[in-house]
Amino acid sequence: MSGTSVVNALAVLLILTSMLVVETRKLRRAAYMYSIQSLVLVAIFLSLAVFMQAEPLYIWSITALITKTFLVPYLIIRTLKTVGNQEEEGPALETSSSIFLAVGLVALSFVIVEPFHMHAVLKLKVALAVSIAHFLLGLLCILARRNALKQILGYCLMENGSHLTLAIMAYNAPETVEIGILTDAVFAVLIMTIIARRLFKVFGTLDTDKFTLLKG
Amino acid sequence: MIWYALGSILLPVLGSPLVLFLPERHVKKASQIFSFLAFTSGLLLLIAFAFNRASFTRELVTLNGINYYGVTIDTLSVLVNFMVVFLGWLICTYSAGYMSPDNKEHPIKEGVPRFYALMLLFIGSMAGVVFSSTLLGLLFFFEMTGLCSWGLIGFYGDQKSRNSALWAIILTHTAALGLYVATAYLYVNTGSFSVTALNKLTDAGKTIAFTGILIACWGKSAQLPFHPWLPRAMVAPTPVSAYLHAASMVKVGVYIFARTVLATGSVPQVIGQAGAIMAVVTMIYGFIMYFPQDDMKRLLAYSTITQLSYIFLAISISIYGSRMAFNGAVAHIFNHAFAKGLFFLVAGTLSYTTGTRLLSRLKGILNKIPVVGLGYIAAAMAIAGVPPFNGFFSKFMIIISGFEIGRHYPLILALIIVTVIESVGSFIWFLKWMGANVLGAPSEVVASAAEPPLAIKFVLAVLMIMTLISQYIVLFLLS
Amino acid sequence: MIEVGENILFYLPAVPLGTALLAFGIRSRRMVEVVHFAGISSVALLSLLLVQYVLRGQTLLALDGMLYADGLTALLVLIIGVVGFLDGFYSIGYLRHDLAQGQVDAKGACFYYGFYHLLLLTMVLAAISNNIAIMWVAIEATTLGSAFLVGFYKHKTAAEAVWKYVLICSVGLAFALYGTILTYSSAFAVVQDAHRAMLWTELVGMARGLDPQVMKLAFVFILIGYGAKVGLVPMHTWLPDTYSEAPSPVSALLSGVLMKCVLFGILRYYPITLQAVGKEFPQTLLLIFGLLSVGVAAFFILVQNDIKRKLAYSSVEHVGIIATGLGAGGPLGILAALFHVINHSLTKSLLFCTVGNVARKYGTRDAQKIRGMLKVAPFTGFMFMAGLLAVVGAPPFSIFVSEFMTLAAGLQGGYFWPMILFLVLLVIVFVAFIILISDTVLGFPPEDLPRGDAGWLCLLPLGILFLLMAGLGIHVPAPLNQLLQGAVSVVLGGK
Repeated sequence: MSGTSVVNALAVLLILTSMLVVETRKLRRAAYMYSIQSLVLVAIFLSLAVFMQAEPLYIWSITALITKTFLVPYLIIRTLKTVGNQEEEGPALETSSSIFLAVGLVALSFVIVEPFHMHAVLKLKVALAVSIAHFLLGLLCILARRNALKQILGYCLMENGSHLTLAIMAYNAPETVEIGILTDAVFAVLIMTIIARRLFKVFGTLDTDKFTLLKG
Repeated sequence: MIWYALGSILLPVLGSPLVLFLPERHVKKASQIFSFLAFTSGLLLLIAFAFNRASFTRELVTLNGINYYGVTIDTLSVLVNFMVVFLGWLICTYSAGYMSPDNKEHPIKEGVPRFYALMLLFIGSMAGVVFSSTLLGLLFFFEMTGLCSWGLIGFYGDQKSRNSALWAIILTHTAALGLYVATAYLYVNTGSFSVTALNKLTDAGKTIAFTGILIACWGKSAQLPFHPWLPRAMVAPTPVSAYLHAASMVKVGVYIFARTVLATGSVPQVIGQAGAIMAVVTMIYGFIMYFPQDDMKRLLAYSTITQLSYIFLAISISIYGSRMAFNGAVAHIFNHAFAKGLFFLVAGTLSYTTGTRLLSRLKGILNKIPVVGLGYIAAAMAIAGVPPFNGFFSKFMIIISGFEIGRHYPLILALIIVTVIESVGSFIWFLKWMGANVLGAPSEVVASAAEPPLAIKFVLAVLMIMTLISQYIVLFLLS
Repeated sequence: MIEVGENILFYLPAVPLGTALLAFGIRSRRMVEVVHFAGISSVALLSLLLVQYVLRGQTLLALDGMLYADGLTALLVLIIGVVGFLDGFYSIGYLRHDLAQGQVDAKGACFYYGFYHLLLLTMVLAAISNNIAIMWVAIEATTLGSAFLVGFYKHKTAAEAVWKYVLICSVGLAFALYGTILTYSSAFAVVQDAHRAMLWTELVGMARGLDPQVMKLAFVFILIGYGAKVGLVPMHTWLPDTYSEAPSPVSALLSGVLMKCVLFGILRYYPITLQAVGKEFPQTLLLIFGLLSVGVAAFFILVQNDIKRKLAYSSVEHVGIIATGLGAGGPLGILAALFHVINHSLTKSLLFCTVGNVARKYGTRDAQKIRGMLKVAPFTGFMFMAGLLAVVGAPPFSIFVSEFMTLAAGLQGGYFWPMILFLVLLVIVFVAFIILISDTVLGFPPEDLPRGDAGWLCLLPLGILFLLMAGLGIHVPAPLNQLLQGAVSVVLGGK
């Protein structure tokens, strides 16, 4: 099995796991799903590092492992402890239709990456398309889901997508940049969970449809 | 000479913030001093110009090689500026009497500094319009006068006057879009804001630019279809109405039209056609609206609308190549200012002393308060165009030049015939009210009238003299 | 003048960082005020110093090219320094009132000032970073840094607002990150040097060689991403909530400074895209977003009752105007947009600070209940009126000039009908705000309301902002003019 096909296969696995994150209704479980998904991402980073002889990606894998596989799920679960285990009610979208949408997003992503002719990208077009699809899937999760914590997970999916793109297209970027971006990501999740806790405190719910004091 | 011009603009503008910070008892004095200084500048400029007749343009604000504002000194600007600062000073003086707790119609207890600050800013902005050598400058001060008039019309602060003020600012600002487009268009196509750059445009370009200018001018001069603000603006304190109608605000429109037409050698005739037709349509409308009016100020408002139509008509005719029509327009801008200023101040004095402005309740003014009665007669005669009052001369010039141009252009001929009919009609109507109000035995309200303060009498007297002699000043300068 | 050279690029972020750390450590109100005031003054002075260097024709580079200052940077740093100072100054009086009322304790105030300086730090970093990824990191950090300030009051509504703010802006910025990556990788394909491919100065130099297809996509991502954070329609939905729920000086800072920082993020991509794909594509996009923003905002300004929300929508409108200026393009359009950036910063800061006074005086922000401001609090009322007049583009205030320039630039670009639409939309805004003045400032106040203005600490910054705003409308000082010209050439050609 060649390097690119491993990466591409892992990328497909990534999409599947992210569908799991989106579709899991119990939030604690969704957080674990996210952890698994990040593990797949780390695997992709590692295989890219091996097959493309990109040393910096080793460091990426380590930081991603720490922040994405452990830190972010931990933050979510810690929040769940204060707000009680959340379960989404009433699907905003049927599972079948969200799968349908996800397929559509992947197709769209393939169209987007079609005109790319850059050296770094050529061999990994599938993975690149998947990363963009992943990003859009995260966006879909934010738009379609009503639970604030689920929206945070959606945001994390978007980040995973963009970080994968980063790894494919810019794996040789300076470490400072990479550290900066990952730190920002963790801080964003941290602050969002703090706000979510405050929302729960004042509204007694995390259903974003109930946050309707401000209008117009 | 440039300093006289700048004095007319800057002295009142400087005075404006100053009166806001002065103790209230000094405000009236200070504003009279500033308006008088502006008037002195205007007068000195008039005298100096009368002697050396040197027209010139001086660029003042230039940035990155583009001139944004400059001052043009020529017959047009010197004359109109003189009128602006002269009436400004007279109105400030008159207001010293009018804006007092003794006022029967509207006792004034607060807001006096605000009133004078806005008045002074108004005078300065008007002078700014008059001297501007660039379209941008015209636009800038166009908007400034709009803001000042807004503050002044809404001066009393009640719902009705605030709404009327809104009408004024919103309608004139909407119309101003024409000027925005014209100015930007001129700049984009010639790289200059100068009014004379209009010459460099193609004929199609000129049509675009002048369409914009004309729309803005209609708005400011309350011509159809932008007229509704003007009758509503009658809720303003009467000295304000006098200034709005006589020397400022509405005159901004005709002045800008005159200035741009003068600066442009040949204006497309379609602009002349549009201007003339709309002028006569407005004239007829204004004339019809005379009849139902009982409030003296509203009658005067419609009279202002029709008189401005005369000026628009004259400038439009001048586009066909008549120098005399243009001079007639300038003369009418000048003469009408004094006549209409006087008329409004008479109305104001009546409401000050009797507490009413209703024409049907006023009788025998001459008998009880002679100075007001005389003022009424002079103003009515001048507006109706009866010799030897000033209105006659300028109307005469306009009508004669109209007939001259009309020989080749049947459209103009038709329009000018309508104008003559209107002129006769309004003469009769004003004569009717004059007879009813001025002569005879005093009615109840007039009989109980108080004596007007000295400041008011003085101003009325000065204006009466001006309705008799202002035409000579114009004719002398135009010769 | 002390010669600090490029070290100034270190001092500029170091001062707010130090001040923030100090403020977090202090628990005394007096001490923290002194520290805060010293901090904002130093930032203001350093910004002026930086401007002076740039005016002398120096381009400053530090840290292996990572930090950088050109005309555009100087302009932004000037805004951060001066407006940041004035808003910070106003904050002192504003917070004292809250402290006196017991709404906030000394610890809360220390946190407020600490975060204020953290926000300044992130904004300064966004301004001076030459590395497009670091710039992105800094801009993302501004969201996080300002979240505390936005949610400063513990109301329900504030919690809702800050949630929307952080979520939508973070999502938006995720798009911007995509744009950044795309730009980087297409640059890397050209130079094969990871370090250089991230430096804006290098990117501009090689922009012609970048893959146009990728750069188009990158620009769209950047515009959506940073556009969400500046409040371009349709990504603006968080903005009215955030601006209306934040403490007034924070709204002033967000609208006056932060928004401009993010906007400059877009501006950095403008010359790159211009050279890589031609002017048609970026300009059309900007024009569409711009006019859409002005249009939607105009409608909402008209129908809103909350004065602070009206002002928030007015910020959307003005971002739209700036985008329209950029969309009109050409030296005139860019100049219009940049000048408008300055003018809007001053004007909107003035207005939000004034609204702080007004809302306290009347205990409400409902435009239907506020009456006769000029009689109740003459100075505040006058400032509110002047600010609103300025914001609708009435002379003699500076927005009149920049709006006119935008119009001229649009006509020059051949967009006749879009510009007519633009003017009509501006008239709607004009009408809305003139009616607001007529209702709230003029007229008669409620009988039972005691007369009297806010304290001098809450008035002096307004006075200074007013003078700057009115002054710029009449005369643009030569150094500022030079700075603007320099910034325009940066945006147009990179140098």
